[in-house]
Amino acid sequence: MDQNTRDELLKLFQGKLNRAMRFYLETCSRCGLCTKACHVHESMPHVKYIAAYRAEIVRRIYKKYFKGQGKAWSSVGESKELTEMALEELYEAAYSCTGCRRCMVYCPFGIDTQMIMSIAKLLLVGAKQEPEILTMLADTSIEKGKSLDVFKEGFLQGIKSLEQKVVEKWKGEADATPIPIDVEGADLLYVALAGAHSIIPAAAIFNAAGEHWTLSFFEAVNFGAFVGDPTKTKLIMNRIIDEAKRLRVKEVCICECGTAFRVMKQLSGKQPFKVVSITELHARYLREGRIHLDKNRFKGSITYHDPCQIARNAGIIDEPRYILQQLTDDFRDMSPDPKYNWCCGGGGGLVALGEETLDFRMKSSSVKADQVRETGAKILATACENCHAQLSDLNDHYKMGVDVQFLSSLVADALVHA
Amino acid sequence: MQTVYYIILVPMVYLAFAVFILGTAIRLVALFRRPKNPSTLEIYPQKGSKLLGALADTFLLPTVRKHNPLLWVFLMIFHISFLLLIIGHLELLGDFRIFQVWEHEIFLGRGFIGLLLCISLLFFLFRRFVSPNRDLSVPEDYYLLILLFLTVLFGSEMDWARRWYDYGEMSVGDYREYLTTLWHLRPALPDAVTMSGHSFMLVLHVFFGNLFLMFFPFTKIMHSFLSLPVNKLRRG
Repeated sequence: MDQNTRDELLKLFQGKLNRAMRFYLETCSRCGLCTKACHVHESMPHVKYIAAYRAEIVRRIYKKYFKGQGKAWSSVGESKELTEMALEELYEAAYSCTGCRRCMVYCPFGIDTQMIMSIAKLLLVGAKQEPEILTMLADTSIEKGKSLDVFKEGFLQGIKSLEQKVVEKWKGEADATPIPIDVEGADLLYVALAGAHSIIPAAAIFNAAGEHWTLSFFEAVNFGAFVGDPTKTKLIMNRIIDEAKRLRVKEVCICECGTAFRVMKQLSGKQPFKVVSITELHARYLREGRIHLDKNRFKGSITYHDPCQIARNAGIIDEPRYILQQLTDDFRDMSPDPKYNWCCGGGGGLVALGEETLDFRMKSSSVKADQVRETGAKILATACENCHAQLSDLNDHYKMGVDVQFLSSLVADALVHA
Repeated sequence: MQTVYYIILVPMVYLAFAVFILGTAIRLVALFRRPKNPSTLEIYPQKGSKLLGALADTFLLPTVRKHNPLLWVFLMIFHISFLLLIIGHLELLGDFRIFQVWEHEIFLGRGFIGLLLCISLLFFLFRRFVSPNRDLSVPEDYYLLILLFLTVLFGSEMDWARRWYDYGEMSVGDYREYLTTLWHLRPALPDAVTMSGHSFMLVLHVFFGNLFLMFFPFTKIMHSFLSLPVNKLRRG
């Protein structure tokens, strides 16, 4: 690695060193308490999968260039130069961490490994060694935001073709549009994913609840966050913020996508609208009596996988359980304390990398498969696209014998009139 | 030899405290002047007061108690004993009525506090020789534990000699005289401190203590000051 490249990468590193990051990099005592926290380590016990070890790979570079100790007495903290080999280690650390933050629950200080890994991901982006597909997907999202008119017509046609399926699930007012788009003054902007599964059930529920809503032109998923590029993360998020402001909506509802929800909820700052997850909204409709569900619609017990970015990292924990109580008398919680729920193993962009990561995802998530099996449930519900994809892969790989479902699909399928 | 004793017991002590106080202050100011994180770093669910929760996380170490009870026992023994020894050293500088609420001879604990501290430091050290802690540890982790162990060992030996073996050549009064003159910037070394048979223990205790203080601001021991703010981040 030439000096110029190293200097540029160190500038990126420096830019990440805010107060919290410095705290995290200065505080670890390497006590090893996080050893049992990571699903990857618990499934494949190797030291490189311990949260503290991953963080130490970044910390050693920090000591070398940003701490007097690393300059004066390099060996005492095993500080390390930023080299091509270091980048390879950073890649392995960053892309074997799903960013679930379960290790924070174990750490006596609460050190956020995901945040430390964001340095690793940014350095990889700077060195153009990040997973190319994630950057391509992020760029496509940004491009769509810049030239919406090019995409608009095709999008509208695609949505039109879904309307009949929405009506089949819930027949609303005769003159109402099943999937309203671009409605100025709507109460709620729904940001879905690319795919009918993210739009049809949600639309049916909005219509059943009598919601004054409109569908976003943009998909919720933020590939900028997956690849760890803060500039792209912001550009992708800003498309939705701008649309919400233009339409003057009161609420922005994010579909079942953990990262999209957390980014929008925690990074969008003070806005004239509120950010809610679709799970919160469905719980609210039920509490307010705006929708009703048939409790006998599904046979057999149901368990629920708390998506890390929605539950442990964003606090949506009671709402899905409230919804499930309306759907079944046989709900089986996976973990006595949701903050200890195992990650599905597909976060941090791993599912988006598809086949490339499949073997690792399966091997690193055997504890999740065991946890699901122990519930003895027939239906495994979740509220995140990534988790759904990963759990479906696990279901096939480990022959778990469960029916993996989106929570919103269960709600839509169980809708009944009062 | 007397010159070496003098250097360790007087100028090195001033230097160590200067490095410790200035180094720690400068590093803390530099850390707290960094911009805040733009988003919350909270972990859910949260119940009760966030500040009280962070205080409990910092001082009672509930996550360690839950996941490694044996480590928790030694950590609690270590931290409480360390605090009691700091109180003991403060009492050498003067009479603090508040510390004598529970009437005692200086130092507290009849020598057992030092013993407990030594045992817990050995536990921390030896657990680092076993995987996976061995794989996570860096030289700093061992050096600091060894340094602290040597500091506590030589300090405690003086206490044990007085308490358990009636060694009377070096008394609490002699330590007091030495420390008070240091504190008032008129350093004087009583003969008992430099000429008695156990003087080498005091000199080694002070030497390793000085090194520990000088390393403090530049090592992970800064967690003493950072643990609360870091835990507060997790509590939101």
